Amino acid sequence: MNGWTGNILRVDLTTKTYRKETFSEEFAKKWIGGRGFALKILWDELKPGIDPLGPENKFIVALGPIAGIPAPNTGKAVVAAKSPITGGYGDGNLGTRVSEHLRKAGYDVLIVEGRAASPTYLYIEDDKVGFLPADEVWGKGTYDTNDWIYAKYGKGVGVLNIGQGGENMVLYAMVRSLEGRAGGRPGMGAVMGSKKLKAIVVKGTKTIPVADPEQMKAIGTGDLKKVRAIDKESGWSIQSTTGVLAWCNEVAALPVRNFRKTQHPDAWKIDGERLNDARIATYGCPNCTMHCGITIRDREGRESELDYENIGLLGANLEIFDLDQVGSLNYLCDDYGIDTISAGCSLSFYADAIEHGATTGDFRFGDAERAKELLGLAARREGELGNLLADGTLRMARRFGHGSEAYAMQVKGLEVAAYNCKFIPGMALAFGTSPIGAHHKEAWVITFELKQTARDSYGREKAEKVVELQRIRGGLFEFMVACRFPWVELGWDLKNYPIYFNKATGLDWTLDDFWKVSDRIYALMKFFWAREIPGWDRTRDYPPMAWFDPANADTEGPIAGKVLELDKYNELLDHFYDIRGWDKRGIPTRKTAESLDLADEAGEVEKYTRLKLG
Amino acid sequence: MKITIKLIGPFIYTAGFSEREFETSEPTTVEGLLGLVGIGQDRPRIVTRNGKAVGRLDELRDGDRVVIAPVYSGG
Repeated sequence: MNGWTGNILRVDLTTKTYRKETFSEEFAKKWIGGRGFALKILWDELKPGIDPLGPENKFIVALGPIAGIPAPNTGKAVVAAKSPITGGYGDGNLGTRVSEHLRKAGYDVLIVEGRAASPTYLYIEDDKVGFLPADEVWGKGTYDTNDWIYAKYGKGVGVLNIGQGGENMVLYAMVRSLEGRAGGRPGMGAVMGSKKLKAIVVKGTKTIPVADPEQMKAIGTGDLKKVRAIDKESGWSIQSTTGVLAWCNEVAALPVRNFRKTQHPDAWKIDGERLNDARIATYGCPNCTMHCGITIRDREGRESELDYENIGLLGANLEIFDLDQVGSLNYLCDDYGIDTISAGCSLSFYADAIEHGATTGDFRFGDAERAKELLGLAARREGELGNLLADGTLRMARRFGHGSEAYAMQVKGLEVAAYNCKFIPGMALAFGTSPIGAHHKEAWVITFELKQTARDSYGREKAEKVVELQRIRGGLFEFMVACRFPWVELGWDLKNYPIYFNKATGLDWTLDDFWKVSDRIYALMKFFWAREIPGWDRTRDYPPMAWFDPANADTEGPIAGKVLELDKYNELLDHFYDIRGWDKRGIPTRKTAESLDLADEAGEVEKYTRLKLG
Repeated sequence: MKITIKLIGPFIYTAGFSEREFETSEPTTVEGLLGLVGIGQDRPRIVTRNGKAVGRLDELRDGDRVVIAPVYSGG
């Protein structure tokens, strides 16, 4: 088998044992890698209903057939587990040297099982695995942990690690790598923490099996140069993702004051222009062509690497318009190893709930210093308030009551990324149907909605676009395991990806072959939910109710008086289900499952819910 | 006729300004405005007027706020 190493490394922290397993070519072609591998393994191996923070959950690092090979933006890895914040399948991707090193060590997948008796880190060097004590850095942040590891093994190794957020099982704790990389929003860091696994260090020295190494090298390195040149010519990296902030503010899509407003006159103070002016360094992932990690000095003088989501949720949505203070909040989240999106939403929800009398407290929008303290309380799970904040908006709302769940900005338990969709139906659908909760990585349709169709349309074309983008973004890039940015932001042709795939594997696939794999993955992710949550229904694919509330409409600006309409949203959702071949509950029909070669999986899910025939 | 132009992201560095007020005596379309600020017709973009999308042949009105942005795809 070329492209894939064909090997899985299975590690048991409880028994301190490990073994190498193989997978078949049939498995490889059916699931490709990354999200596909992780999902199928978790589906097969996790008993439904297990505690995501118990030893029976499994933490997976999964790579794809071009991961770690020099080609545009292939330095990424998928981390996955049953999510503690949603209760469903959870994953995320992050830039890391683990991608290259794990493949060079001879594996496409790492499965971590059990729970260590004391803080541990794994050291993987080719065929050997060491279970080593991490007591010295347990309780420390991700920056100190990274430095501690680099001091032992040098900067060239692959590292995944967690901070205090993961150790204390903050439900939105992330996995971190390199200077500013983070991934696994649905609590993948908490799963590592629950296993007392502080870090994974990987050093691989073998050769990644590639069908046509000379061609792969020539095309891959040539394309790295081409994409870098396109980026330079376009100027995208000058502001990177943060350019979108000023635009969202202009078109009334910015989250402000826990998403109650969509614009703010001070938004310019934290926009991409100001960020670029304040830049002191720029970071990226391995094999990156368009470094997006713009780094500034925060209020306390530390380096803080920012992107749009960080600034949107820790800045505008908290009404904090001092860039260096936003940098400080971002630094703390990164060091604690907690997700900036969920952390920002949790704080803004708390301020909103106080303002609306659902709870009492001393936190107000715009209070950066108190926000810093609250992040610390959450990361350490200190006191009742720390524990509340550490559990995210949905659980907080259920504690507070008083109708506050309507403005807990989450879907399926995972907080909404920085796009205010109170009048953007297609993007609301993208958040609603994102298979891991309200993540923007699966589909992003706002510019399509404004440019190629009417903003107020709930037409089928929007559902079609969401499905198309899910196939590419949540499918292709997540199972191939490469960063989507060259295609997303620079228009790098998707047709390049089957070329890389074919040179690596020796197969002869076209883009059309990949879409079936994408649809298979989306169907199985939905089966995962249906198996975990009896009585699954379409309301779980709804965006937050605040977006439907006329009392929450803007009073001025381009969408004054407008909010989403639930009847029309349901029509849009029906279109989405119809295109996907799912029933009105949002569960794939038996016919759809069989057409995607998921007959066995359909049989399994029917133990929990009856499938429609289709 | 006064029109405010707001540029987004890399267009700021192409045109050399971020926000500027333009005064013109002639009726101007979106296309004409793009020529005025030096953003090539070949560059993918989304243009909004007062927060709502407009086409390239739409005529602009006095007091319009026109925002010219690249076609972001949401990171």
